[in-house]
Amino acid sequence: MDWDILVALLAAAVQSGTPILYATLGEMLSEKGGVLNLGVEGMMSVAALAAFLTAHLTGSAWLGLAAGGAAGACLALLHAVVCIGFLGNQVVSGLALTILGLGLTHFFGTPFIGLAAPGFSKFSLPLLGSLPVLGDILFRQDALVYLSYLLPAGFWFFLQRTRPGLAVRAVGEMPAAVAAAGLHPLRLRFFTAVAGGGLVGLGGAYLSLAYTHLWTNGLSAGRGWIAVALVIFAFWKPGRAVIGAYLFGGVMAFQLRLQATGTNLPSSLLLMLPYALTVLVLVFSAWRGRAAGAPAALGVNIEPEG
Amino acid sequence: MNLFTSMRAKLAVLCLAAALALSLAACGEQKAEQKAAEKPAVEAKPAETPAADKKLKVGFIYVSPVGDAGYSYAHHQGEKAVAALPYVEASYVESVPEGADSERVITNMARKDFDLVFATSFGYMDSTLKVAKEYPKTRFMHCSGFKTADNMNNYFGRMYQARYLTGMVAGMMTKKNILGYVAAFPIPEVIRGINAFTLGARSVNPQAQVRVVWTKTWYDPALEKDAAVSLLDVGADVIAQHQDSPGPQEAAQQRGVYSVGYNSDMSAFAPKSHLTAAVWNWAPLYVQTVEEVKNGAWKGNQAIWWGMDKGVVDIAPYGPMVPDEVKAKVEARRAELKAGTDTVFTGPIRDQAGKERYAAGQKAPDADLLGMTWFVEGVVGTTE
Amino acid sequence: MPALRVIKRDEPWKGGALVIVLGALAFSLGAGILMLAAQGKSPLQGAVVLWQGTFGNVFALEDALRKSVPIFLCSLGVAVAFRMQVWNIGAEGQFALGAIGATWAALSFPGLPAFLLLPLMFLAALVAGGLWALVPAWLRLRLKVNEIITTLMLNYIAILLLDFLVFGVWKDPTSFGFPMTPEFPRAALLGPIGGTRLHWGFAVCLAAGAGFWAFFRFTLLGYELKAGGEGARVARYAGLPYGFLVGFVMTVSGALAGLAGCVETSAVLGRLQPSLMAGYGYTAIVVAWLARLEPLPIALASFLLAVLRVGVENLQLEMQIPAAYGSIMEGLILLSVLAGQFFLTYRLGRREG
Repeated sequence: MDWDILVALLAAAVQSGTPILYATLGEMLSEKGGVLNLGVEGMMSVAALAAFLTAHLTGSAWLGLAAGGAAGACLALLHAVVCIGFLGNQVVSGLALTILGLGLTHFFGTPFIGLAAPGFSKFSLPLLGSLPVLGDILFRQDALVYLSYLLPAGFWFFLQRTRPGLAVRAVGEMPAAVAAAGLHPLRLRFFTAVAGGGLVGLGGAYLSLAYTHLWTNGLSAGRGWIAVALVIFAFWKPGRAVIGAYLFGGVMAFQLRLQATGTNLPSSLLLMLPYALTVLVLVFSAWRGRAAGAPAALGVNIEPEG
Repeated sequence: MNLFTSMRAKLAVLCLAAALALSLAACGEQKAEQKAAEKPAVEAKPAETPAADKKLKVGFIYVSPVGDAGYSYAHHQGEKAVAALPYVEASYVESVPEGADSERVITNMARKDFDLVFATSFGYMDSTLKVAKEYPKTRFMHCSGFKTADNMNNYFGRMYQARYLTGMVAGMMTKKNILGYVAAFPIPEVIRGINAFTLGARSVNPQAQVRVVWTKTWYDPALEKDAAVSLLDVGADVIAQHQDSPGPQEAAQQRGVYSVGYNSDMSAFAPKSHLTAAVWNWAPLYVQTVEEVKNGAWKGNQAIWWGMDKGVVDIAPYGPMVPDEVKAKVEARRAELKAGTDTVFTGPIRDQAGKERYAAGQKAPDADLLGMTWFVEGVVGTTE
Repeated sequence: MPALRVIKRDEPWKGGALVIVLGALAFSLGAGILMLAAQGKSPLQGAVVLWQGTFGNVFALEDALRKSVPIFLCSLGVAVAFRMQVWNIGAEGQFALGAIGATWAALSFPGLPAFLLLPLMFLAALVAGGLWALVPAWLRLRLKVNEIITTLMLNYIAILLLDFLVFGVWKDPTSFGFPMTPEFPRAALLGPIGGTRLHWGFAVCLAAGAGFWAFFRFTLLGYELKAGGEGARVARYAGLPYGFLVGFVMTVSGALAGLAGCVETSAVLGRLQPSLMAGYGYTAIVVAWLARLEPLPIALASFLLAVLRVGVENLQLEMQIPAAYGSIMEGLILLSVLAGQFFLTYRLGRREG
């Protein structure tokens, strides 16, 4: 393969991985607080629609982005109410959310297929874009990709170096201790779940505002599920989420390019690559003994005091 | 905690289930008897003309949502033409997965005494045939399959003719002689379309090469766009597609190259790059079928494959960037096809390995076209 | 501040489960029907059509029973694993592998008579589905790899494997190049029961359900698993190593989903093709959880879900309501049942003082 093609491949991997990265970090935030939300697919879908519609109606891509985040947060709020408020089982609630989200998207969005809306386009960053190789791969992307570069660090900083972040981590590990410390575990969980939903919504908005500039049914196409899996793959660490998202996006982009250069390998087998690779890397890391655990209270609802 | 903790509750539910099963079995027996009694009375062909004042009930089954601006959308436009007829009452069910679900939906329509049912996806074939055998009075039209019965026809359009023309346009507009094709699944109709496109392109530009990327999905706009980008990255400057979303069109426009759409005119999505598109127009076929049913002229056991001469396929209007010389050449060929002269798959045609499949002047029979699983010379890619 | 507070019940609300399900149904149906009005359709007509397409129509019920067969079997499998807190999300992939196994048997031994071929197909399906589930189990035991992600990834791989086979080596040479295997020989088909539209897969369901119930009721191992305790504790009681138990439940879980794949391929499709995959594996997870992992509620829940889907198709046909409506209804029902289940364990009471 040509050097140019390789660089183009890596650039495509970054773009392909970005919506997955947003969604993975969003889910990770929710799970750090102890709330498992399997509704990511539905949330991304609704957010893509909301973002597109808002951008179309207001003419502003940034407003669209905000709307996408808000849509994700709203669905997460619904999930939070059912799970935190009504102690509903988190697994089923998330699945129900996916079903509901996808249904809402198709039901309300169909009249809006074929419309145009402003979106985010790629532009080169002033100095960085001119860097050889790295410049082409990392710094000739759109604004949301640049934003996503800051996210993992911000995520880590928030959780590891701030007091609210500490509280969030605590409520995901041992809610009883949080209550004993005089904080409100339920409120903390609400906050993290909703904030996480907002991030997921940004990932969904990316699909209709940046990745493509259209909205049609089925835009999320399973990316939400990949994000859920990647949180586990990343052992709940944001840095590894980046690796996972770009790896997945990259392998998907790679198998497409392999086909484009005229391979004889059957496409069914090529398409297995991203999934197989995800498992392999997971196995390899576990074998090397670096398996980290989930937050101890993940998925476990906090019982109200009697 | 559990509804069924008590023994009584368990027993009650068991009895209910048993009763339900028994009653269904009993109904089943009854129905079987009814059908057996009905059989001698039913004619071999559904030749009865519907009563003049009763509306014809026509049903449509779609594999995807009709609002997707793609394959089902095109069929739905045909449905609308039929629904506009004063003696027709049309209805549809969308997003019906192939397999068990489709059998149920088709059976439902037959039970409700629909006169005519259009099953618009290949995967409905076995189900349609099964139901056709059970309901001889209903007429079935199955799209893109190969099975028929006394009350079931299959139909399709010669989309390859339109593909050929779009290939000509692409072949004349390319500067790098690399044409990219984003395709869904390696089934014969897609392969046939790619071949026709390639033959068209090479008829005006023997250096043109078509590269194929399989997405294995009918509908994932982002992945289709990615596939298009991967083709652009290897140098393609015209992107064609056999996909239902306009993702590839967008990718082409963003790179400032050209594109060819599918299913319907996709220029709204990529006005600067959209050269033309290979489009469906099911209305003529659907309207004629319905009229045949009304007049009692409908016959079963037919394989109906209409082309450009009947208006079922065509190309979308040319984009503003297409020069007149190109238009003229393509229009000449188009006129031929509209007049009924189909030389798209007339030899000499060689396959990817260079072996001659059809000699000069030899026309590929329909059966070969229907089951086409090999690529012509000039295509780079696998058929798997 | 509300004057209510949440009080834990001394014992769970008896009969409450039924009330909640009915209440949730009523709420969701009501909300759904009202949504029709927002689209300019008559809610009353919607209600009538929905009834006619579900309980008002024996055919619809029969169709729903047919549709609930694969969901029920997959759900049983999911329940077996979930009871030991082994999170098998891979029912979809195990279903596919079961279908592949059954197809292999049917295509490799076309000359066998039905009484030999069908059991062979079943066996192949059970083994294929079981092995596909054993891989994530082994990874979990040996390397502590989380089974949620491995089973999920294996779903995608299984579907692609199916594609690979039907587009490649198993493709029917007489089917004009379309991706499907040749039709199964008659001996490989599960036929209908008498004159009904129900097929013998229904009997398989009854047998599987009975087996599930008997296992958990009468065996020591089953009894301990049912107690739902932590995996390690269960093992100590039953005297079996934890690893063996995990492997066991996963294999059984995968085998049941594989059986569903075999039944669906043999009884409904009659050949292997990509359209076999209809998301049953994922629906099964929803059903299993809703039914709290008990076989009889699983049967009811699969049936009700199937009935809902059949009814929504009728809404589409009669009132041109988009297909997505069904998903919205399903989601609403699930969420309201979940929220309602809160009241099984808690009730609201006056705040004192």
